[in-house]
Amino acid sequence: MRLLNYASRRLLRGFATFLFAVTITFFLVRLLPGDPMLAIAAPGMTEELLARQIADLGLDRSLIVQYVAYLRELGQGNLGISFLRGQPVSEVLMARLPWTLLLTGSALLVTIVLGVPLGVLAAVKARGAVDRLVQVVGVIGQSLFVPSIGIFLLYTLGLWLGLFPIGSAVDPDTHGAARVLSILHHLALPCLTLVMAQLASYVLTLRATLIESLGEEYCDLARVKGASESRVVWQHALRNALLPTTTLVGLQIGFLVGGAVLTETIYAYPGVGRAIFEAVGQLDYPVLQGAFVLLAATVVLANLLTDLLYGLLDPRVRTA
Amino acid sequence: MTDVIQSGIDAREIQAPADPSPRRRTWRAFRQNPLGMGSLAVIAFLAVLSAAAPLIADFPSGYGEEILVGPSAAHWFGTDELGRDIFAEVIWGGRISMIIGFAASFLAILIGVTVGITASYAPRLDPPLSMLVDVSLALPVLPLMILVAALVGPSVETLVLVIALFSWPEVARIVRSQALSVTRLPYVDAARTIGGSHLWIMTRHLLPAVAPVIVVAVVLTASRAVLSEAGLSFLGLGDPDSWSWGKILYNAQRSGALTIAWWATLFPSLAILLLVVSATLVSIAYNDARNPKTREA
Repeated sequence: MRLLNYASRRLLRGFATFLFAVTITFFLVRLLPGDPMLAIAAPGMTEELLARQIADLGLDRSLIVQYVAYLRELGQGNLGISFLRGQPVSEVLMARLPWTLLLTGSALLVTIVLGVPLGVLAAVKARGAVDRLVQVVGVIGQSLFVPSIGIFLLYTLGLWLGLFPIGSAVDPDTHGAARVLSILHHLALPCLTLVMAQLASYVLTLRATLIESLGEEYCDLARVKGASESRVVWQHALRNALLPTTTLVGLQIGFLVGGAVLTETIYAYPGVGRAIFEAVGQLDYPVLQGAFVLLAATVVLANLLTDLLYGLLDPRVRTA
Repeated sequence: MTDVIQSGIDAREIQAPADPSPRRRTWRAFRQNPLGMGSLAVIAFLAVLSAAAPLIADFPSGYGEEILVGPSAAHWFGTDELGRDIFAEVIWGGRISMIIGFAASFLAILIGVTVGITASYAPRLDPPLSMLVDVSLALPVLPLMILVAALVGPSVETLVLVIALFSWPEVARIVRSQALSVTRLPYVDAARTIGGSHLWIMTRHLLPAVAPVIVVAVVLTASRAVLSEAGLSFLGLGDPDSWSWGKILYNAQRSGALTIAWWATLFPSLAILLLVVSATLVSIAYNDARNPKTREA
């Protein structure tokens, strides 16, 4: 019951966040200096298409009517028409979204798989040599500019050592297992770029919370009862230390998505981020607007999932 | 008392020296941290270099004769696809990157501190303001900045406004949580009891209490603003008439120099890294200097 209550509150907040994103997008596009038609009418658009678009969006009526019409169209999945291809924005972007989800999802997974042992290693021997190294590398890691990492990896692992392909997400004309392998092969460098960009935050957060947990009385109790130190770390302290790390996932997802935009640009990876870069070059406003709305929805959903996971992990949420 | 005076001990000798103010104590501890001072020196060096750009190198424009040449005595950082000197681009780019970083950070701090202190002080305004902050923090900021920058049209002013507009919620969140613990302290009640106005309490009692947090926020927001500017410029939304570190990378990417000339991307990348790492270290050293626990150690 508590959990249901918690879940519905989170759901409501997620919905409010998405509504906020959609609303500021609407008003920014219409109230910013510049002709709002610029964001709706493409240079090469046919009269008929333009008339339909204006009618769909109610552009000849008041701002409130327009807003309602905009929400209605959005509810039906209409994000407008791309300038460049005259194709619906939703079609253009939905074809790209799976690649971005694959990239960000795999980056998050690898970050956690690498970050947890590293954080534990640093925390167990706090102020030791490994810990010092983790802290120094961590500070530098948090200060890296995502394209710089991407370009560095592209040079060293891609061009110089020739270990991984650069550009696109899969070799055409591959099928079955070869296709899966090709996808993973193309994914490696962009994924590694994002892992390097966010790993430090996870390791440093886990390290700090784990050091705190290890000093708590319940850990002393476990030690007194004869539990081995590794059991105390992995079974007792880590469980509690992972909770703040779960919240960090929620905080970092926005950054991860931004990083994906930059990474996809470097590697010509055909995700939503690359679509944004192409749209900037062609001033394809409907695509830019649609991409933000779509990415905001993705982030809100991902946040909702981590919130629910947190609720399941933390007994205080369930019973308090 | 008379005994002491008669024993001939100068009263000044038994008196302990007055405790220095916390601010001075922090500064003294900070000065003893080589990492903090070194980072401060690096930032100062980059700032001086940027300010003196016109004296050091000509504004990189037009076409040069040597195209995509590696680092040499004539061109320390090599040349780009049009034969322009990359050293000059990095120096001139530092100007814009740092100006945008500081201006955007200044604006973001102004808004963030106002919102944060107001939210902590006015219980009725807190829920809506906190909601606004939470919701803004949950959104993917870069795609939003891209949309706005593309709509308004890229320029230095646009970049400053766009970055500030989407960076203040972080500041507001930190300031609010710090100020919240202060508003409950008795001295704030006392200030209210003697009839102090709300504005007076907020500016004279709450603001000084959160000042240290603001110092850290200034440094971190500025370095993040530098990264945001670089990101936007890298995607082609930089000011068309000036250089910035992100724009050098954008040029390398667009012209294809990225895959041929390592020097076209390495040096601007190092410049960004140097500035952001230094800023991070300054904030860490400042926090250590303020914390009595780490100060003694």
